[in-house]
Amino acid sequence: MTEKSWTEIQALAVKAATGAAVPPAQALAFGAMATRHLADGGPEAPLSDALSHSGTIVDLAHQIEVVIETASISEQPVRVAEQDSGRRALLISWLASLPCQAETNATSAEIRVRLSLTDPSARTRPARVHIGAALLDQMQDLAARTYVPDSEASRSSGAGAGLMDLD
Amino acid sequence: MKDHAPQTLPLRPPGEVMRLERMGAMMPTRLSFLRALIRRLCTERAAIKRTHWDMSPDGHGRAVYSVELGGHTYSLVAISNDLPADQRSDRVIATAWDAAFVLYDGTPGIADIDRIAAQAPLQEAGRFSPKDLVLSRANKSVRMWDATVAALRSGGQPDAAMIRDIGYLMRTTAVYGNGKFGIADRHLIETRDGLGGPFAAEMLAVYLIRHFTLDLVAHVGRAPLDPVLARHFGVGNATGLGMAPFLVTHPVLLNNWMLARETAIARVRALDGLSAKQRALIAALGARATRHLTEWHVPAADHDTILRDLETEWAGFLPHLETLNGQSPIETLWQAAQSQSIPLQELLVALLIEAFPDEVDGLTECMGDPFGPLTTPFAGTDALRAAIEADWSWALAQDYEDPAMCRRFWYVSEAKLEPRLGDRFADDGAELETPLDIARRVAALHANLPAQDQSVSSFLTDHPEHAHACARIAVLARYPYAEIRDNLIAATCRPIDMLRCKLSFFGATKFDPKSDLWTRITLAQGAPLGDELSPEADDWWLPVLG
Repeated sequence: MTEKSWTEIQALAVKAATGAAVPPAQALAFGAMATRHLADGGPEAPLSDALSHSGTIVDLAHQIEVVIETASISEQPVRVAEQDSGRRALLISWLASLPCQAETNATSAEIRVRLSLTDPSARTRPARVHIGAALLDQMQDLAARTYVPDSEASRSSGAGAGLMDLD
Repeated sequence: MKDHAPQTLPLRPPGEVMRLERMGAMMPTRLSFLRALIRRLCTERAAIKRTHWDMSPDGHGRAVYSVELGGHTYSLVAISNDLPADQRSDRVIATAWDAAFVLYDGTPGIADIDRIAAQAPLQEAGRFSPKDLVLSRANKSVRMWDATVAALRSGGQPDAAMIRDIGYLMRTTAVYGNGKFGIADRHLIETRDGLGGPFAAEMLAVYLIRHFTLDLVAHVGRAPLDPVLARHFGVGNATGLGMAPFLVTHPVLLNNWMLARETAIARVRALDGLSAKQRALIAALGARATRHLTEWHVPAADHDTILRDLETEWAGFLPHLETLNGQSPIETLWQAAQSQSIPLQELLVALLIEAFPDEVDGLTECMGDPFGPLTTPFAGTDALRAAIEADWSWALAQDYEDPAMCRRFWYVSEAKLEPRLGDRFADDGAELETPLDIARRVAALHANLPAQDQSVSSFLTDHPEHAHACARIAVLARYPYAEIRDNLIAATCRPIDMLRCKLSFFGATKFDPKSDLWTRITLAQGAPLGDELSPEADDWWLPVLG
């Protein structure tokens, strides 16, 4: 296991999702979810699977959109049916990563969610987050797809600051 | 903060404030983060202690400075190196610097200092711990450094005019916080008394770096600096594109910064009458601004012309500051400024904020974003469309098919992950564009909205690519100053305006743009020295020498 800061994991997970061709909003949310998931000791396999099948991330993001929309018009708990344990684990982490208060109660086939959309989450964050080597490698490989190869032209015309500065 | 609710006039509308032309004219205020941090140090009468000094006669070695703030001890570990001139570069892609720094949480032992001495000079290639709060590096201004050392060694003092022109002995080229390279995440310190404000830890590091540079030059020069001259040495900074995307990727934070500033000026404008002391203070600040402008020259002709025009215009406006009578004197002054240029208006904003600490200083407590966006979804696509047409007309008014309206694209280079800006029609990499094209995305969403109302989630089932725009629209509906109301991919977009906005919130002065992509600035120029931290020392807005 490798030890990283919260910010490092979150930024890497966003880039990894982006590198997996996930649209920006869903990639941002995935980054927050993945960090919460790892910090809470969640299993890594579902994260890895989701990054391997980017449609899964978009689907999960959509499930969360529906939960939020439903919660905004009803004070009743929202029920989310989810048979797959991996996806269920990610959904719980996704809800826990929202900026608002989220209470979840999961059974083997369903999550019951109560959201308070305008009340901030009180969840704490640890000083370090641990990540396994395989998932870290996968994320770094995907993240590398988002970087534009360096070139003399981009160094000279696309970036700030002069190359040498001897004022 | 005062325990009464201050009167306020309506805030300037976001459509007026959140334009790049105005953001690119912003000036530092007493709400700026460095100013607020030093004010706090002054309130606590903090004392900076040099707890370790192992430095060669040429100024290469290690030093540690400690300071108490809000019941915690923080220490700057400074590593000064012998850097060959041909390696001195301000670019992110540089690999060596004159000095490297870590702001450490507590008092470091020898093992900690050894660890930091091994890692800090590596910067992005190093590895850091949660005890390390900030990582930074700096290069000397070789001209200023050599002249100061020579003057001190010959029994004299450096030339005041040269200090005015350059303003620093070293300039930082990066100040990293919030979890980068393993340093502490911001959430670990954000509830601490004294470090709660945005970038407070980074600003503490900058202030201690300034203290170190003054100590180091006196050590190498073998004589002390005159305190008047020393006070006018700040810390330089070279800032490029990397800072610009932050304003787009942190919309709630941007809102809270701008909202605090706009609330401050709205409160000041609402004041009914002024005491003789307040009138005198405003007149004195006006005169100080005049001198500051006179001392502020930059090599770039176009930017210097802006400064000289402002200097002339300000001289013509000054009589308004000397006739502040009647029922609503500030509002009368404000209205007189509305026919003046944007740079003059923004200078006046900063001056008026400076003059009224009781109405303003408490707002620094509202400038963070501890939660993230707390938004509520739209009832349906009709409500989403209504929000777009109400808040985003500026985004809908542009033709993004026009090459001039989409010429630029933001991207991250594989070279040290440096943010860069490309030409969509000439450069490689547009397919890897960073999603800062918010206006274009909102316009595309608007064009795709269905004629028949439906839930937003069902719309996004078929159009997941629009979720980003939906999120931004929801944020803007709740946080009115969250969005820069300009097309950030237009050929005419000047990132330097975004840098100016952010750096003014840091407290930067003497903006010295080198292109549309980067600028030099000075931080902490005029700030009290390490042995001068007392409440009465909080008076260094727009510093002048002598």
